[in-house]
This record gives sequence, C-alpha cells and structure tokens, in this order.
Amino acid sequence: MRGVGALLFAWLLPAAAQAEELTVWHAYSGAEEDALQEAARTWSEANGVTVRPVFTPFGAFDSKIETAVPRGNGPDVFIAAHGNLGNWRQMGIVEEVEVDLAAHCEVCGEAVSADGKSWGYPLAYKSLLLLYDPGVVDRPPETTDELIAQAHALTGGDRYGLAFQIAEPYYYVPWLHAFGGSILDDDVSSPAHAQALAFAYRLGVGEGIMPAQPTGELVGQLYEDGNAAFVISGPWFIPDRKRAIAAAPLPVVSETGQPAKPYLTVEAAFVADQAKEPEHARAFAAWLAGPEGAEIRQRVGKQAVSAVEVTSDDPLLAVMREQAERSVLYPTDPAAGSATEAQARALRRVLRGAATPEGAAAEAQAYREVFQRPPPPSVSPTPYLATMVLVLLGGLAWAVAPLREEALRKQIWEERFSYLWVAPAAVALLAVVVAPFVTGAAVSLFAHQGGEWSFVGMRHFLDILLARDWPVSSPMSFFYTLAVTVLWTVTNVLAHVGLGVALALVLREPWIRMRPLFRAALILPWAIPNYITALIFKGLFHVQYGAVNALLGALVGGTVHIDWFGSFALAFCANLTTNTWLGFPFMMVVALGALQSIPRDLEEAAMVDGAGWWFRFRHVVWPLLAPALLPAVLLGSVWTFNMFNVVYLVSGGEPDGSTEILISEAYRWAFDRENRYGYAAAYAVLIFGVLLIWSRSANRLAGKRVL
Amino acid sequence: MATVGFQALHKRYGDTHVLKGIEAQVEDGEYVVLVGPSGCGKSTLLRCVAGLEEISEGQLTIGDRVVNSLAPAERDVAMVFQSYALYPHMTVAENMGFALRVAGRPREEIQARVAEVARMLELEPLLERLPAQMSGGQRQRVAMGRAIVRQPAVFLFDEPLSNLDASLRTHMRVELKRLHQRLGATILHVTHDQVEALTLADRILVLNQGIVQQFGSPRELYDTPANTFVATFIGSPSMNMLRGLPGEEAIVGVRPHDVVLGSGEISATVDVVESLGAEALVHLQLTDGTPMVAQVPEPASVKPGDAVNLAFAKVHRFDPSTERRL
Repeated sequence: MRGVGALLFAWLLPAAAQAEELTVWHAYSGAEEDALQEAARTWSEANGVTVRPVFTPFGAFDSKIETAVPRGNGPDVFIAAHGNLGNWRQMGIVEEVEVDLAAHCEVCGEAVSADGKSWGYPLAYKSLLLLYDPGVVDRPPETTDELIAQAHALTGGDRYGLAFQIAEPYYYVPWLHAFGGSILDDDVSSPAHAQALAFAYRLGVGEGIMPAQPTGELVGQLYEDGNAAFVISGPWFIPDRKRAIAAAPLPVVSETGQPAKPYLTVEAAFVADQAKEPEHARAFAAWLAGPEGAEIRQRVGKQAVSAVEVTSDDPLLAVMREQAERSVLYPTDPAAGSATEAQARALRRVLRGAATPEGAAAEAQAYREVFQRPPPPSVSPTPYLATMVLVLLGGLAWAVAPLREEALRKQIWEERFSYLWVAPAAVALLAVVVAPFVTGAAVSLFAHQGGEWSFVGMRHFLDILLARDWPVSSPMSFFYTLAVTVLWTVTNVLAHVGLGVALALVLREPWIRMRPLFRAALILPWAIPNYITALIFKGLFHVQYGAVNALLGALVGGTVHIDWFGSFALAFCANLTTNTWLGFPFMMVVALGALQSIPRDLEEAAMVDGAGWWFRFRHVVWPLLAPALLPAVLLGSVWTFNMFNVVYLVSGGEPDGSTEILISEAYRWAFDRENRYGYAAAYAVLIFGVLLIWSRSANRLAGKRVL
Repeated sequence: MATVGFQALHKRYGDTHVLKGIEAQVEDGEYVVLVGPSGCGKSTLLRCVAGLEEISEGQLTIGDRVVNSLAPAERDVAMVFQSYALYPHMTVAENMGFALRVAGRPREEIQARVAEVARMLELEPLLERLPAQMSGGQRQRVAMGRAIVRQPAVFLFDEPLSNLDASLRTHMRVELKRLHQRLGATILHVTHDQVEALTLADRILVLNQGIVQQFGSPRELYDTPANTFVATFIGSPSMNMLRGLPGEEAIVGVRPHDVVLGSGEISATVDVVESLGAEALVHLQLTDGTPMVAQVPEPASVKPGDAVNLAFAKVHRFDPSTERRL
C-alpha cells in the first residue's frame, strides 16, 4: 500500500519531482534524433540541468502543441517547422526571444521574425531538391529542357525518367515561382498561373516521362527499384536508400530563364509559453541553434544548419545551401491554406485533362474568392440572447410547473437519495454529451476567420441552405453533398446487407468445412482499423500500379488504365467497395445470429412443400430475418452517413469534391479553408438535424424504438 | 396414392452407418408405423423418403418411380414435423396454402382447398390466426392440414403426437385413424411409442440399430415376435425373458398375462404388488434370482413375501444364440 501511495504522490506532484528538468518536444527520427540526444546530453553535462527530448509524432505534433501549451501541460522547448508560427503567435503559444540573426542564414532569420521581433531560434532548413541516380545520370541538368531530354532518354518499359508527387501543391509551387506566380497572388487566373499549370501538365503527362499519379510511397519504390532516374523530393528522401543517390538544385525553367524555387521550411527551437524553466529553456535553445549545437546536428544529424559559422564539405549540404538561396520561404499567412486548396483543385483538373490551364486557373480564382471572402458582417447577438433566455425561462417554467403539486414535491423529497444516485451519471452526460453539443451548436452562430471570431447569427445556415455561394448543382453546395451522402448511405447499406446475408447463408450450409476458420476470416475486415483498410484500398485503385486494374487487365488480357478517381461514378464505386469491405462483416455477424434462431425445420418444411432456393429465402427465411436485421441496418445507416475515414482517405472527394459527403465537407471547411469553424459547425448541426429526422422516421418505419 | 419400396437401402454419415440395408414394401393406402428406440434410424429413414437426407446406397421407390436423386419437391410427399414447423409469420390459411402457392395454383383454388381441409379439421375459426396465437393441439391440426391440402402420394409423420399432453394424444390418435380411413392415403408414421404403433398401424416396421427387426401387422408382432427385441419392445408390460429354465435350452418368453399363479412347477417369491385397478402387476423373483412380472385380475390373491408356484399359459421360444424365434 505504501508503494502505491508513493506512486500516487509522485504522480500528483510531477512539477516537484522534475524541477531540474527541461522537456523538449520534437518529431525527429533516425540520425536527427540521435543528434538531438547527443546535443541534449552535452548541454546537460555542462549546465547541470537535465534536458529530456520527447518524441511526438509529426502528424500529431501541431495539434498537441496547440492543445497542451495553453493549458500549461506543454514542454519548455519545442522544435518545429516555422510554417505555423503565425498561428502560434496569435494563440500566445510561443515566447518572444532574442536571437543574433546575423549568425544565421538570412532567410532562416526571416522565418522566425515577425513584427520586428524574433520568436524562435533557427536550427536548420529543408527544401525540395533534384535527386538522381548517379548510376545512370552523369551530369544533372541545369535547365528543364535538359531535364526533359535526359528523362526521355531514360524512359522506357517500366522505367521512368522522372518521378515526383506533381499533383501536390508543395511539389508544384517551384514551377509556379519560376513562372512568376505565387500561391498567395490575389489573381490566380493570371497568365503566370496558366503557364505554370500548362508546364505541370507537360511534365507530368504530356512528355510521357513520368508514371501516372505518383504518390510518395510509389516514388520511393520506383527509385529503389531503379525505375526512376530523377526524383524531386527533400533530404528526408535520402536516408536508408539502398540505391546510390545524389542531389542537385532544381533546374532553371527554360521558358522563363528563372530557376524553379521550392518552398523553404526552417526548423526552429521555440520557447513555449508557460515554460516551467524559461531561463534554462532560452539558454538551451540558443545553444542548440548556436555553433556548438549546430556542429553536433550537422555532424550527427546531417542537418543543413542555419548557423553560418558552421561549414561543411558534405556535397549534399552544399547543394541544400545552394537551393536555399533559390527558394521561397514557406508562407505563414493563414490564408495560404485555402488559397492552396483552390489551386490544388485546379492542378488536379489540369493533370487529369478535365480542364485547360486557362480554364482551371479561372476556376481557381472563383473558388478562391469564396474561400477568402471576408466573414459576413457581425450582427447584434441581443435578439438571439433574448430568444435563448425566453426559451430557457419557458423550459424552466415548464419543468417547474408540476412542482406546485404538493404530492409531487413530497414524492421528490422522499426519493431524494435516488436523485443523488443518478447525479453522477447525469453530470457525466452533461459534461460529455450536452456540453460539447451545445458548444458545437453555439459555434455555428459565429464566424471564425484569421483568428477572429464574430457573431453572425443564422447567417451560415442561410448561406448554406439558400445555396448562396454555389449553384445547387455544384459539388460545393450543401444539397449536392447531401444527395451524394444519401446515395452513399443507401448503396452502402444495400451492399452490406446483401453481402452479409449472402455470406451468412453460405456459412450456415452443412457442407461448409472449417466453418470457424471462414467465420473468423470473414470478420477480419472489421477487426482492422478502418483507416488502414482505406489507405490500402486507395493503393489498390491506383491507375497504373493498383491491383484492381492489374486484375481487370489479367481478366481481359491486356493493360487496363481505369482512372478510378477521374470520374464521379468510378470514384464513388471505389469508396463504395472499400466501405462494403469494411461494413459487410457486421451485417454478416448479425445475420448469422439471426439465422441461428430460425429453425431448420421451417426450411425443410418449405423444401418438402416444393419451394426452391429463392422461394424459400424470399418467403420463409427473409421475413424471419428482416426484423432481426432492422436495428443493425438503421445503425449501419447512421455510421455510413458519417463514414469520414473512407471518403477522406480513398477518394478524398475526387474528382473535384464531387464524392465528398457532408461530414468530410464539414472537415474541409474547418481545417482546409482557413479554419472556418463556424461554417463547419453549421454543417455539423445540419448533419445532426438530418440524422434526427431519419432516426424519428426510422422508428416509425420499424414500428418500434430502434434508434 | 402410391406404394413405397425400400431396396437394400443404406445411409451413412461418414463412418457412422445408420441404416443397414432396409428392405420393405409399403402398400398403397397402407398406414405403416416405424417404431424403435431412440437412435435406431427411424427418423432418418423417414427423412430419406422425404428427400431431406441423401441415400448412400440402395433404392427408394415411390409408386413406380425410383426417387433416390429427386428433390423433395419432386417426390410428391407431404411431411408433418415433430415441431410442426409452421411458418411463424404466416396465418393458418397462408401456412396451409403455402405448397399450392409454391406450385403456382390460382388463388381461388388455393382458397377453396384450404377451406375444405379447414372444415374437415375444424380449423375454420382459426384461419386468420398466427401460429403463436394457438394451442399445441391446434398447431398440430394445422400441420396436418398443411399436409392434407397438398393431396400428396405419401404422408410422412415424424413423431406428430409427441409434443401433446397425454389426453390430447389419445384424442388425436383417434383423429389420425379416422383421417386415414377417410383419405385412404399411404402414411409413414414415425414414433417411439409402441401404443401409438399398435393402435394406428396397418403394419408396424420395427427398427433397431438400423436393421429391420420385423415388419408385420400389430397382431403378428404381438403374437409371433420374430426375435427377443421385438418380443420385449412390443407389448406392455414387457414380455418376461427367462433363460436356463430346468430342462429348457431355449430362451423362454412369457407375456405377463400368460403367467398363472398358484399351480405349476416353478416356484417364486412375491416381491411387490402394483394395483392397476382392474388388474394387478405382481413382481416376482424366481429361486435363481431372475425377476419376472405377472399380470393377474384384482383382487390379487398374493402379498409381498408369499411363496407361490407358477405355470405359463403360453410361451414363446427363442434361440439363445441368435435370439430368433424357434
């Protein structure tokens, strides 16, 4: 017991126990992590304060920082790219620091500066490079014409001259910059943008030197197999390659004579607000960024460090430095997100051949105008507050009115302990259900843009329901997405029930051997986390390397090049297939259980009565099965209606957002389009409304309460 | 109406040999009861006739057709299940008309036939009820009705009365007998209850361990049982089987009512006396300890502990090694 007590004590007082410790959050792995560990050890020994680096996965890093730091649970120092600095300053997550900017490369200093102040210690920089296989490339190209010519010479059979994720905005901007455009341009329909889009099409499709729709994994695989001579990627592509690899700066675009300029991200050590040891934190971060720390990071971690004093004769670091001089600092403007989405859409349309560069650029401009439109004018909250107060008072009066009855008051008093027992559950419900719901609903009455909240009342709902920004037939409109969502739900549930019941019927057959094995195998899709399944299916549907096209090709005896995400019908089918794979086991399990409760006698009686297989199923089995399946079907319909993962990860809304469902569209408004939380919350409230209506009518349909 | 013929019929489930060469010919319009202890294969034999079990070897004929490989639907048989197997989501009328609906008969014909059979079975007031809204006896009648509506060549009854209470069972036995007389149909009826067998059957087929022990009229089975199994299985209380009586090589079988108390050369002690009202069962012990039972008119003249002498009015003799009748 004393041991437990001591543990509890230590847990309750972590601050006391860790007084002389400095916590550093980072997302490094491999050599970079080793470098950080060594630097931390070195500094700890010299200063007598323990530095504890804590790895936090890259994907969750920003959100962890943004939730932990304001609540005082954050680290003392965190190491991150500068891209979110704008947000963090706004949220008060980072402390102002004093940095000798002259000791760092110019652009690195720029990355951590704002309003004439410094907000972090620059550590290292990264950008895209031209990587190549020195085994087949003698001399890296200086210009794009040379690159294309060399790539042509190296393309043939399964081999490609060039491979990179051309459809990703990050990989597209170097070309855009060379044509004189920028993601942040006010006019993204300018000739520069159209020319950049046309160039991207030429590089990705027109010249025939690149594989179709390359993803990050695919590019890595192609390079490893010797099937990609040139790759455009960052220094993170290099570690652990079995094939030799060399780097060069991105080439000059022959059309304009301007170099392709990638985004440069600068990693910096930031001192967190509410750091427990702010003095030590500053000292450590400054030292880590300074010559001693930089030397360790460069030697052990192979980092391109920002400290100008530290030099290296590593050719890769030289190339990175050269590229840094021909780069554009990654924008910290929050508006970059939605601007990027509009242009990414245009880029994908051009690459798919669905639009001309000029047309796509003009569309991008139109989207951009809606995405970046200033928030609606704020309105006075008084009428809303008054209504709310009235409703609350009315509700209270309605609830309290029966208390005028003496008998009821007495009864409540007599049962006061019952209320006490129910209280914890009621409080929990209030905290985890009612409070978030009310908050979410309240958020829908506010507009959030550029970090500013303003009260706009029902404006979001009016905009959405009156289809003010988009015609109803546009994939961006609520009603289009609602129709897709309903279609999505209906087709999925039909497929799940059909396949589930069919398999359950087969599994029940007496001639099936190894039944438990089949049963376990068929339930397996259910047991695998659905995002993993979704990512696998995304790969299976790849136009060039996907197993689905390979299988179809084998069936018809040729190569099949179906672009599964190139049209609504096909992309919808890909999503449907994935979700059916995920959804049928549940229906199968329910159907198996329900079938077991149907006596075999009944079917035998029908058999003797002369009924064939279908007649028996239709008139004997199904009528007895259906009532048992109904609750599962209704539950499944709600799950499917909100099946975010599959839609987001498989089609990702492609083509052009047409396969988005309401929940994924709400996500995009909240996180891809300048954090319009209010607008997204309005979507969420509408989703709730639709499901509420559905569950009411479903209960009526079932003749009982099932949802 | 049709005959049913079994020729060297075998049924195996993997290594388990359930039916071992069944040979029998059921005549047209005959009421045949298949009887035997649990696990003897009688239900399996019935399901083979229905087509619910595949025949492993041998031949099954209905009428002049070999039906081994025909589906149940093509055999023109109707079956009444022990559980009745009424479709729970259909009314009585729908249950009874189901087979005709499967056959695609016109609605009017179905209604007329259902109404006719319902009248015969006094089911008319129940036609719109669901199975769950009826008693066991009513459900049993509906199950019968469902079979009768079809006018099949052969009726198959799988323990149709075993889920009824005793008095209802007696009543339904009479109903079944009446029904058979009225329809003149070929009926195969499986039961483990020998009273049911004796009262209903034109002929009884006694099965044990997958082998036909005897196939004959109730009288034949009772009077001249073919072997010790039939002798003890048919008749209640069971026939006494005595081995090693003085001067007797064979097994001697004596029905309890053929035991005469008071005279004779065999001596025994009275163990227990059970009164059945008009008669009493006297449980005896021979001098060598062999138990036996005598059925005597009441009032019985003996009491427990009495020493009595016995004589047998009629004996059956069986070969001690083959247990066959001598």
